[in-house]
Amino acid sequence: MKLNKRSVAHYALSDSPADHTGFLRIWGGPGTPTTPSGTGRRCWFVLKGNLLFSFESPEGRAPLSLVVLEGCTVELAEAPIPEEFAFAIRFDAPGVRPHLLAADGQAAQEAWVKALSRASFGYMRLVVRELEGQLQEARQSLASHRCATRKAIASRCKPQAPNHLFPSPENGHFLPSNCSSMGSTEEGGSRPAGRDLAEWEWQGPASFLLSKGQSPVSPETSCFSTLHDWYGQEIVELRRGWQQRALGGQLECEP
Amino acid sequence: MRYNEKELRALSRQPAELAAELGMRGPKKGSVAKRRLVKLVVNFLFYFRTDEAEPLGALLLERCRVAQEEPGGFSISFVEDPERKYHFECCSQEQCEQWTEALRRASYEYMRRSLIFYRNEIQKMTGKDPLEQFGISEETRFQLSSLPRDGLSARVSSRLDELD
Repeated sequence: MKLNKRSVAHYALSDSPADHTGFLRIWGGPGTPTTPSGTGRRCWFVLKGNLLFSFESPEGRAPLSLVVLEGCTVELAEAPIPEEFAFAIRFDAPGVRPHLLAADGQAAQEAWVKALSRASFGYMRLVVRELEGQLQEARQSLASHRCATRKAIASRCKPQAPNHLFPSPENGHFLPSNCSSMGSTEEGGSRPAGRDLAEWEWQGPASFLLSKGQSPVSPETSCFSTLHDWYGQEIVELRRGWQQRALGGQLECEP
Repeated sequence: MRYNEKELRALSRQPAELAAELGMRGPKKGSVAKRRLVKLVVNFLFYFRTDEAEPLGALLLERCRVAQEEPGGFSISFVEDPERKYHFECCSQEQCEQWTEALRRASYEYMRRSLIFYRNEIQKMTGKDPLEQFGISEETRFQLSSLPRDGLSARVSSRLDELD
């Protein structure tokens, strides 16, 4: 089966911070005994998301191996494994032997088991959905609280500023650095000074969704993706405007 | 680089976020489009020959760029080599948009950013950290510092400082 290994290796080496790192001894890979006799092979492990990479050392330029952590459970290794601080990654898939690993101490062992247990995509998705639900509830209660006292604001549909916390449009990609000027260009624009940020953030998405014929609080993940698209459009427009202004400035400076 | 192929094959049999028969063309010059069953499972895109149960291959969707390609198709490329594209042909613009949307949201890193966004929003609105009740507020993977070191993260950090 093919895999985009070059891209995977690039991701492993990229500056995206790891969720956990450390030395571990491993059994079961090529060049190591299949049972935990001997000390196993000592490698540098890097956990990123649901991917566990191993390297020769922290300075390693290419990953030795990848374990995709989906459909598995992680537990402290039981007897008869004689190794101290050992743990196992067991897969549900039939005919797959567990990956046996050992840390250098109890704290490291516990930290690894904890980190690996929470590494799956499904776990992250669960937490995201939970928070989505909580955010909807918080917005609903804020909306009902403010509805009575802020009728005039509801008529204004256009949002005033992009939320810089927002993930970039591309998958894991980053907004170009010219976006930092967006903050300053729109300050002098339509946004009134001293605008209550929390109020805007409630009103903005709610009005946008209302104008799309949706309930102000969308169900499940479509809430986030709708916000994503909406903020994304705003960012694209502002970026275009900045670029035009920058280009205009450049032309002025040329002799 | 070795990888746990058996487990990845098992993953390809799990319920998919999206699955469809699409035209697929590899990044190599002169490659021809072929019908493939394409299946999105977590942050992997698996592709199968239409009459086979075992996947031909998989694409890890971290640090990828998904772009619409005229007409009625899209491409996936990766940060380290943006010109090297995997091309997909859809049967409608609607299907194309459905796939590009899903693929853009499919990475673990995207979910992580979403989580940090929601966490921060809830904290601002309620004054409470929503992860505390689950005892996971200190987990590395949920921290702002777990975002890649780039301009976006710096802006996120400074924005949070402003709000304090």
